[in-house]
Amino acid sequence: MKTKHHSRRRAAARLTGASMLVAAGIVSATAQEGEPQYGGQLIYAQSGEKFSLFPGRNTDNGAQDVWLNACENLVELNEESEIVPVLAESWETSEDEKTVTFKLREGVEFHDGTPFDAEAVAFVFNEAKAQDFIYISLLEGFDRAEAVSEHEVAFHLEAPFAALIPNLAYRPLCIFSPTAYQELGEEGMATQIVGTGPFRHTDWVKGEYVLFERNDNYWKEGLPYLDSIKMVVVPDPSTRTAMLERGEVDRAVSLSDFDIPRLELNENIRVRTVPSTRQFYVVLNHMVEPFDDVLVRRALNHAIDKVGMVQAVFAGSGATVPKAPTLSEGVYGYQDMRQEGEDSIFPYDPEMAQSLLQEAGYEDRDGDGTIENADGEDLAFTLWTRKGSTKGDYQVAQLLQSFLGEIGIPIELVVMEAAAFSSAVSQAPDDAEYEMALLSWGIPTADPDEPMMYFTHTKAWKPAGANRMFFSSEELDRLADAAHTETDEDERKELTRQWMAQLLEEAPVIYLPTLHLSLGTRSYVHGDRILAVDNYPATEAWIDHEEMQRQGISR
Amino acid sequence: MPRLILSRLVFMVLAGFLLLSFLFALFHMIPGDPARLMAGDNAPEELVQSIRRAYGFDQPLHVQYLSYMQRVLMGDFGVSNYTRQPVLEVVLPRIGNTAALAGCAMLFAMTVSLILGSFSAMFWGGPVDKGVTAFSLVGICTPVFVTGIIGIYLFGVYLRWLPIGGMSSWQHFILPVLTLGAYQAAMFTRMVRSCMVDALGRDFITTARAKGAPERRVVFHHALRNALLPIITLFGLGVGHTLGGSVVTETIFNWPGLGRLMVDSILTRDLPVMQGAIFFFAMIFILVNLLVDILYTWADPRVSYD
Repeated sequence: MKTKHHSRRRAAARLTGASMLVAAGIVSATAQEGEPQYGGQLIYAQSGEKFSLFPGRNTDNGAQDVWLNACENLVELNEESEIVPVLAESWETSEDEKTVTFKLREGVEFHDGTPFDAEAVAFVFNEAKAQDFIYISLLEGFDRAEAVSEHEVAFHLEAPFAALIPNLAYRPLCIFSPTAYQELGEEGMATQIVGTGPFRHTDWVKGEYVLFERNDNYWKEGLPYLDSIKMVVVPDPSTRTAMLERGEVDRAVSLSDFDIPRLELNENIRVRTVPSTRQFYVVLNHMVEPFDDVLVRRALNHAIDKVGMVQAVFAGSGATVPKAPTLSEGVYGYQDMRQEGEDSIFPYDPEMAQSLLQEAGYEDRDGDGTIENADGEDLAFTLWTRKGSTKGDYQVAQLLQSFLGEIGIPIELVVMEAAAFSSAVSQAPDDAEYEMALLSWGIPTADPDEPMMYFTHTKAWKPAGANRMFFSSEELDRLADAAHTETDEDERKELTRQWMAQLLEEAPVIYLPTLHLSLGTRSYVHGDRILAVDNYPATEAWIDHEEMQRQGISR
Repeated sequence: MPRLILSRLVFMVLAGFLLLSFLFALFHMIPGDPARLMAGDNAPEELVQSIRRAYGFDQPLHVQYLSYMQRVLMGDFGVSNYTRQPVLEVVLPRIGNTAALAGCAMLFAMTVSLILGSFSAMFWGGPVDKGVTAFSLVGICTPVFVTGIIGIYLFGVYLRWLPIGGMSSWQHFILPVLTLGAYQAAMFTRMVRSCMVDALGRDFITTARAKGAPERRVVFHHALRNALLPIITLFGLGVGHTLGGSVVTETIFNWPGLGRLMVDSILTRDLPVMQGAIFFFAMIFILVNLLVDILYTWADPRVSYD
């Protein structure tokens, strides 16, 4: 079989070098922090609890850290949004790009003692297809997986699919033990996950905690350092913060934005924030006049002060202004799309907003402060929103009302309960009753394929995809389709850039700030990481026991 | 008495079924699609469809209802939509946790209010009475979440005397019990005071005093015993408030109780867990009321149910 090396593999090779340098960086940083110490339990406060541990039926991103500790993927996404090998050492793509063959790491065992091999990988993905696992839509065109040899597995595709490798990095696509699955079934696996990760999952009490203990046979020699990890579920952000301040937990995520300045003054706590892949946006229903007019859509984008919004709603640290449409810094192929001197895309400029509206035929004709169309009818809309579903959603909606009110467009806010809202904004064009709705878009795979194919594509009109704007652009569709099958990395990045540039031209939605992820850690914890896809790996984390004692924390 | 207990138990079963049917109807009538909520806003329609099939949401309503009721009769409340754990396995441990929290809080509130309320009535109009009245007014006006957060930061973070979240040791009980109990204690103290003021003004108290009974015996034996009937009713109602208040307290102190479970399951539309949690909440409430009725016969032998 004639094969060509996948460009990602070359990238991976480059990356292996790069990650060695990064590792060297870690080592030198470690030398300053002291040698890693073994032992101890890391107690870690999470916010959510509705998860099922079975990856094939989980719909909640909050559970990703469960798999992160116990169950590993073939590949993974690092801090630089690059794909790095994990259980797959390398991969090759056939000439017709319809077969991808992975060479698997040898000498790896599942926590139940069964070997990790090509048969196991093939079983997981074939079962995913046969049983219609929830993530199967991410493996578009996947036909079957086949064990070529003990440590080589081939994925057969019906058509080339560029996002296959990045999507395999999505946490729920981790490789669990087929033996455990056959013994426990889906129901049993909902409370117990058996993978190859650095920690074995040993206990779970719903709503209270998940416990992991060190995997002594872990394939990365010498790791992990910790004896165990206890993930406690603490839904209230103030309680999470207080528990971190008291040292009842060593690490807490999703801190309240307004607590962060205080925590930063505490020398025993280290706070880190990174942009997540979640961006707020306002859906404009293009079936409703005048949202079918690009001038109006651009005007609305310029009417919103994104910088002010970040300050007022997110205390300046809980979110960042949008620097590119839909994609954010953690996503593969992201580029800063701001023009020189701009503080965000569509910078705040109410005068430009008004002149664009005027150009589109909308202006204040009777001097009452409200903009009218040519027939003298007021331009006024309702904006649907939820309250408390995503951090700051209702406050963002209130500011939108105020900013649009300032340029003469009165907005009526309609607050809806979460399930009712989700259902109401998931209707086909004829049944959709909204004019504007505030939502946020997250990209858990951190790959642009999903937004390109499911967010703005004409084929993705609700209910098929997530194009609830009912927006259609031939050029955007063409760019998305080209990127979808383009396996050359540089070409795909260029197509992604052109797609973003075209979004800025057509402004299908109102672009709003991107949320930050926050992680607070006691200063005696070293080596833990934070990834833009809401992952907090602790494989290399260790505890400085003396420092912990000095801070008066003993367990 | 046995008749009372038997009739109440029959009532409980009936009320339970009505409640489950009502909840089922309610959560299917309000707009919103649990499959859509589980899949997320931006999930493709195929994903939503596959969830609907996997969880049986695509069945006609009456089929879903009948099969649910049938299973409940067999003691099977279904499995959580998210974790696939049996509902009873999720709910039962939570009942114990909430009962422990609410029970301790009630005990604290009853003890404090009986002592403070009686003293307040004894020294009616004096500085003790005014002090107690001020305490109870502040207590009633301060919401549980404010007392809770102040307690967490004062005793947990700054003084480091008490742990904040969870329930793994007896120290973990102190802050949530005081937080939840303080509000009830304040409320009860007002009521105990007025019942006692009323009782102390009765003729039999004058008689007791005229007979030369010591004041302590007059207040705590004669007056309190006679003021007890309305106070027991009040405490019975207070259990309901305490259970309601435990929802907030459990959230602030990360207490793994029934109240937090109920709120979480409502917000995530985890219908089976929500039905189970509300069902057991209601059953506890009915049982407590039965207990209050039985206590009446002890407090006032004139009350008889046979």
